[in-house]
Amino acid sequence: MNGRVLVAIALLVLAAALVFAARPHEATTDERIDQITTELRCPVCQGLSVKDSSSKTARQMRDLVAQRVREGKTNAQIEAEFRAAYGDWIFLSPPVASWSGLIWLVPVVALAAGLVLVTGRLRSPDAPAPVEPSATQVAALRERVAREEAAEG
Amino acid sequence: MLARVLRIAVVVALLGLVVTLALAFRRDPHDIRTGTVNKPAPAFTLERLDGSGQVSLADLSGKVVVVNFFASWCLPCIQENPALVRVYERYRTSDVVMLGVNYQESRENGLAYVQRMGVAWTTVADDDGRVALSYGVFGPPETFFISYDGIIAGRHIGPIDEETLVTAIEKLRGQASSR
Repeated sequence: MNGRVLVAIALLVLAAALVFAARPHEATTDERIDQITTELRCPVCQGLSVKDSSSKTARQMRDLVAQRVREGKTNAQIEAEFRAAYGDWIFLSPPVASWSGLIWLVPVVALAAGLVLVTGRLRSPDAPAPVEPSATQVAALRERVAREEAAEG
Repeated sequence: MLARVLRIAVVVALLGLVVTLALAFRRDPHDIRTGTVNKPAPAFTLERLDGSGQVSLADLSGKVVVVNFFASWCLPCIQENPALVRVYERYRTSDVVMLGVNYQESRENGLAYVQRMGVAWTTVADDDGRVALSYGVFGPPETFFISYDGIIAGRHIGPIDEETLVTAIEKLRGQASSR
């Protein structure tokens, strides 16, 4: 068999495997618990998620999440329960549609302002073109060069 | 023109920052108004620490309820306890109910603490921490003030003093009497 055909088949098989692996599928209970607890902040830790913390509070929160998942609550309902108790602070990534969401907006606004500034500068009129020296100026310059050469010479 | 607009934008942004910081620094760091404040107090039924039955928040409806999360391993809880004792004595025959919720410890240790520290008000055990989570507790001590109509009117994080307790209670009693 032609070598190129073999390579093509291998690439097709690889692509099919990747598509199969990345196909949308229903998350398992454990995956959902991991997903939710990764987003929740541990209230007694320094910047740790509930999933990553070994504190008792984080453990109690994980138990609560697991219980709610088993009860058939959606991720949004479970997150809403924690938001009701702790506010948006409880999420490691603040929701975009909130005051905390400004943290996402400010860099975008700063970038846009920078682009406007740069575009404005680029569009501004160029520096004035150099003016051709007059015949008198050229003559004066030639005379000066000749004088300096004579002095050196 | 563009440079002028940008200059104004920078000044406005700086002014905004200064105003935000000024407002933030004026706030009492113990008075955290997130989550449950101004919302109905999450309902709960917990067992008494001494095992002599259950206490339900619903049974305390129509009263001013002071819910204090505490633990024997929490030093600020020991620090605030004398103020709680004085305030309990002051209101024990009134429409004010104090309720201690033991936080993240064994009942044995919690009960020993209560007996040692002269805690005469009702204390309950939050064994699985669910009540603390529903109130958005960060850690003990935390005190919640629940109005006669079951709304969390205030929350104090950290050790509380007598004046803060009395002020918050009287404010709620005033609301109750002006109904």
